[in-house]
Amino acid sequence: MQRVWTVVLSVWAMLAVVTVLAWTHRPAPLASQAAPQTVVVKGANGKQQILTIQPSAAHATTSTSAVVR
Amino acid sequence: MNGRLERLEFHAMGTACAAAVTMTPADQPSARRAGAAARGEVAACERVLSRFDPDSDLSRLNAAAGRWTPVDQRLLDALELALRAREETGGRFDPTVLPALVAAGYDRSFEQLVTRTPRRAEGWHAGSSIEVDRDAAQARLEAGAAVDLGGIGKGYAAGRALVAMRDAWPRLAGALVDLGGDIAVWGRPPEGGPWRIAVADPLVAGRAAATLAIRSGGVATSGRNVRRFGPGASLHHLIDPATGEPAGPGPVAVTVVAPEPAEAEAHATALAMMTAHDAAAHVASHPQLSALYVEHDGHMLRLGTLPVTERHILVRAA
Repeated sequence: MQRVWTVVLSVWAMLAVVTVLAWTHRPAPLASQAAPQTVVVKGANGKQQILTIQPSAAHATTSTSAVVR
Repeated sequence: MNGRLERLEFHAMGTACAAAVTMTPADQPSARRAGAAARGEVAACERVLSRFDPDSDLSRLNAAAGRWTPVDQRLLDALELALRAREETGGRFDPTVLPALVAAGYDRSFEQLVTRTPRRAEGWHAGSSIEVDRDAAQARLEAGAAVDLGGIGKGYAAGRALVAMRDAWPRLAGALVDLGGDIAVWGRPPEGGPWRIAVADPLVAGRAAATLAIRSGGVATSGRNVRRFGPGASLHHLIDPATGEPAGPGPVAVTVVAPEPAEAEAHATALAMMTAHDAAAHVASHPQLSALYVEHDGHMLRLGTLPVTERHILVRAA
């Protein structure tokens, strides 16, 4: 019986380690890279202005045309 | 607008293509319909305009040079665009350059060309006649002539695909078609403002040389930084109609913005054979154009109405 409990605890421990590793190494969310950012800028007269900064990523890229088939 | 860009990617005309629309989740069926319409139109253009398909309308027209040949309206459109571009560029863009292109060695896929030695096309001359009869839906080439619609065909297809998307989805807010770098845009992207089009750096792979901001119109790039062949990779696919041989001095690449993508492509081809001085004069005499001319040392010249801040360029095409 003790051997069974040892196996069960070992499996649970391994799963816990895998879960922690997966959580700490998760990829950054892609959506946030393309989302516009809103920033508050204070002018010289103290008046605040809200600006929306568009992401720098392009929608498409143009390059030298390949010859058409 | 809390939308996103729905992008359909596919392969056609020998290159990677994409059609994208601005949409919200509720627009999914319309977005798919618009994407399918774009893909279908590009495929239809390829069936008509390809010179590598022996059954295409263009191949039939070339094979029957000297005789009137019934062809699809798309080919009539593209021929008229090419004729207008030939006139506007003073013959630096010439759709009848195909025999010289083949003589230069470009008669097969690029991978087979690398060690070929070029030769000059015998009996070929620039400016061969092309007649278009809209009423009878037919065209006729000068005997012995042959047409290559190359890049202008891609530009034309990009413009057609954009129209097809708007027809398929009348309430479409914004759309983009990209046929291997020949780009057409209309409306607005999901985040608002203009569409942002990166210009690939012709000297450093994977890097953008500039970013264009365009609300509506076409963008195309031509140059001699890719598809080189012949001994020591000394040749490229740009044939100068004035000589019938690979073009002489010019930029490493040039990007043109115009109201229509076919127009952008034709003028990019012409500018790619010009010195910086001649290119500036050409753009100045065509106010609908603006261009980014990249010299071999990487120096970039703004031609036309391109307001530039460092490497970021704002362009309004229409």
